Amino acid sequence: MASDAGTVNILRGVSLDVAAGEIAAVVGPSGAGKSSLMMIVGALERATSGRVEVAGRDLGPLDDDARARLRRDNVGIVFQGFHLIPTMTALENVALPLEFAGRADAFDTARTALERVGLGPRLGHYPAQLSGGEQQRVAVARAFVGRPKLLLADEPTGNLDGATGKQVMDLLFDLARAEGATLILITHDMALAGRCDRIVHVADGLVVSDERPQALAAQ
Amino acid sequence: MNLALRLARREMRSGLGGFRLFIACLAVGVGAIAAILSFSRAVEEGVRADSREILGGDVSISVLYREATPDQMAFLNRQGTLTRWVDSRAMAHPVKEGGHPTLVQLKAVEGAYPLYGKMELRGGGSLAEALAKRDGVWGAVVEEAALKRMNIALGDLVKVGEATVQVRALIAREPDSGLNAFASLGPRLMMSFDALEESALVQPGSLLSWQYRLRLPPGASDTAAVEAIREHYPREGWRVQSLADAGGGIRFWLDRLTQFLGLIGLSSLLVGGVGVGNSVSSFLATRQRTIATMKCLGAPERLIFTTYLLQLGALALLGIAIGVAVGVALPFVAQTAIADLLPVRARIALYLRPILVAAGFGVLVALLFALVPLMQARVVPAATLMRGAVVPQRTRWWRWQRLGWRDAAVLAVVAMALAAFTVFTAVERRIGAWFVLGSVAAFLAFPALAQGVMLAAARAGKPRFAALRLALANLHRPGAPTPVVMLSLGLGLTVLVATALIQGNLRDQITSRIPKDAPAFFFVDIQSNQIDAFEKAIAAVPGADALDKVPSLRGRIVKIGGTPVGEMIVPSNARWAIDGDRGVTYASTPPEGAQIVAGQWWPPDYRGPQLVSFDEGLAEAFHIGVGDTITVNVLGRDVDARIASLRRIVWQTLALNFVFVFSPGTLDKAPHTYLATVKATPAAEDEIFKVITDRFPNVTVVRIRDAIQTASDVLGNIELATRAIGLLSILAGVLVLAGAMLATQRRRVHEAVVMKVLGATRARIAGIFAWEFAALGLATALAAIGVGTLAAWLVVRRLMHLEWTFLPGVAIAVALGAMALTLAFGLAGTLAALRQRPLALLRNE
Repeated sequence: MASDAGTVNILRGVSLDVAAGEIAAVVGPSGAGKSSLMMIVGALERATSGRVEVAGRDLGPLDDDARARLRRDNVGIVFQGFHLIPTMTALENVALPLEFAGRADAFDTARTALERVGLGPRLGHYPAQLSGGEQQRVAVARAFVGRPKLLLADEPTGNLDGATGKQVMDLLFDLARAEGATLILITHDMALAGRCDRIVHVADGLVVSDERPQALAAQ
Repeated sequence: MNLALRLARREMRSGLGGFRLFIACLAVGVGAIAAILSFSRAVEEGVRADSREILGGDVSISVLYREATPDQMAFLNRQGTLTRWVDSRAMAHPVKEGGHPTLVQLKAVEGAYPLYGKMELRGGGSLAEALAKRDGVWGAVVEEAALKRMNIALGDLVKVGEATVQVRALIAREPDSGLNAFASLGPRLMMSFDALEESALVQPGSLLSWQYRLRLPPGASDTAAVEAIREHYPREGWRVQSLADAGGGIRFWLDRLTQFLGLIGLSSLLVGGVGVGNSVSSFLATRQRTIATMKCLGAPERLIFTTYLLQLGALALLGIAIGVAVGVALPFVAQTAIADLLPVRARIALYLRPILVAAGFGVLVALLFALVPLMQARVVPAATLMRGAVVPQRTRWWRWQRLGWRDAAVLAVVAMALAAFTVFTAVERRIGAWFVLGSVAAFLAFPALAQGVMLAAARAGKPRFAALRLALANLHRPGAPTPVVMLSLGLGLTVLVATALIQGNLRDQITSRIPKDAPAFFFVDIQSNQIDAFEKAIAAVPGADALDKVPSLRGRIVKIGGTPVGEMIVPSNARWAIDGDRGVTYASTPPEGAQIVAGQWWPPDYRGPQLVSFDEGLAEAFHIGVGDTITVNVLGRDVDARIASLRRIVWQTLALNFVFVFSPGTLDKAPHTYLATVKATPAAEDEIFKVITDRFPNVTVVRIRDAIQTASDVLGNIELATRAIGLLSILAGVLVLAGAMLATQRRRVHEAVVMKVLGATRARIAGIFAWEFAALGLATALAAIGVGTLAAWLVVRRLMHLEWTFLPGVAIAVALGAMALTLAFGLAGTLAALRQRPLALLRNE
């Protein structure tokens, strides 16, 4: 990555293949490159070299707008910091990606999505009027509302207490399984990682191990 | 206090970076006011210092139409050194082939002229020498424009009436020219009084202004001399003035212009006040954690308030100082550029009062607008530290409902102090008071209109076009910049709309309101024995209509309803009618297009007791009506006339019209001249001008087109000054707008990044913001057009009592300008937002 201080190699030769419908956790210490990996997979940053393919498409030749459209149609992202637009209501936040896709039913679909995450009574609330757990559930609804093939979640429970975090994660796993979406979960929480099909350890920009908890358990 | 000072000093370590806008907003407004007041004061000082020169003596006596009698001259001569001159419009006819006869402002002076100051000629030389008779020919000096218009060179001969004069020098400076600066239709031509006598222009009833000036003996009081003259000749209709009246015309204009421009300057300061308020609230928003921390550590509210008040006070003083420095420096810089436009020598210097007034406005405006956010900051709860930092800052300075009654009372006192300062520093307090009311109304109207726009945007439903839907939603969301943009840009635009409409209407009075069938020429001073030949000459020109002629005499109202006018209280707007002589005429039939509003016109063959038809407006001012008697002194004889009818006179038609129209019988025997007008096709105008100036050299020919152009030029200069100051209020508005956009920039960048994450293309994001800004600009423009039009209408109709026309061009220009401005500023910020890489913003903290 180019920076004021010169080029920084954050990821150095990562090779990772996540299959459709798979739920994978990416774990590793701070600064290992987890978030950068997610930014690249989410087509939010460009890899300086190598090849990244999402939903069957090579991201390399795509310009910024083509990447935006790819995200709109295929990718949902949940952040630790929620990143809801504070001046929009919960409903408006969730409807936004559908509006970008030109969907006439944007608001109806968004309403259903919010009801699905248990926020039916909170449609007209602004983020500041919601608790952290509720805000993250809005973010989850927003990530799922377009039925993405790929779901990226970056420390989604990092700002939440244990019980609330568990509720949000249950929701995330349930929705991913119900939709058959691929979920890549970045987390520090090994217990959480243990609920995934697969755990990828990243350290110093490299994949250091790639395991399957069920297989581990079986051993 | 010491602790607060120490804390304030520490707080200021972070530099002035965030306060550039705060300082600029104050500096622009204060600078405008300081510049206008300093300049006006410099001109005023110039008038005072040169009052003898400007008046032309210690005492001035002006009489229209009538020369002073030898007795009167003898009396005046006993008071001091006397000089006299005649000021009049006249035609100057070049003798050589190819010269153009030209309307000039003639001044025929005696040897003692000027009593004070010096008549400066280009290339030096004395006036007496230049005007003297050489080889049997009198001399003349002219303004440069006269040479150009007549198409002649120095040394050429020119006929003025029947006198031939040689143009010998150009006027560099005429010490008392200030008097004519706004009244002359042609360039100056000066010749000797003796030459005038040869010209035969002095005829009974000729439209001449006789001027007498006295230089009093050392130690004599000018006011005492004025009193003595007035006492000795109470009924002559003389206008007698002392030094204090010098430059009265200039002062009249200067005062009004200063008032007008000063209030526009104050408007820009008020617009800047919005910026001050915004800057202070954004600054204090960034200090919320600091304030909460200080509170946790035991700082009382008062300490926090004082700390930030001191800090902001120091910054405000810096802004005010910059404004004052620029404001007082501007007249020095502009001196040479404006000198030629001014009829007097301005005494540009550092004057204390303008500085104090400008600084006073700066302090009061800064205080008023900074107080609300300061008061709100004081009550920031310590618990802020415990909450997440994601709660958006939703309180803006005008949301003052959280303030207690004590705070509200302090605010009210400051606001009233500002209002009182505005009223008491205004030239006319009534206008100052209206301005205050207008400002209060605008400050209430714009937030209310903004609420209306937000409500309308919320109710607009959900258009199918997603970008438009999102743009509309952006307009009404909490924290939307709608109110602040509408207030800041709206106030500036309102000032621009109002001044443009007022000026446009003034211009309209002069130009567009002149009817299509207005006459092409006015002819003045046609002698009785010329009138038949004159009429035939006009009739012979193809394209010329019949001559409309009226006999013209001079008369002075001496009694109204039997009461001498000296004993009556006459309203100021009707004083002109009793100050000196007025034109009177007689007719057997009503003037063309006359509107008789009361009484009846006399029969065409009426020969009974003297009747008069009088102006409706003046009759009202004098509290007289049909059946009352009015006494007019015509050529030394008092004529009692009973008012038979009242007419509504629309002067703008430019048809010949008189305040007094007498019934025939008495006046037709008195010596008189004729005034005439003629309508003509544009093609015939040149021919008429040539025929008349060739054959009737004594007749003054005023081409309406030129007269309108002259008036228009004078207005043009005033417009230029107004527009320059008006643009300052836009500059202030733009500063505030830029600040408002910056304040929401962080939020916009975040939104843009989140929208990118959710799959919006750059074009789509730019489109959403563009729609939002265009809608915001349009809403602001519409509001400004509404409020500005209302203000202009009130000024034009209620203060100036003129006809009103709405000028759609102004409105369209403002609407487009506002949209362009908001789009430019908004999209500049948006482009920055689009360039933002998401990583930095989206990373977990």
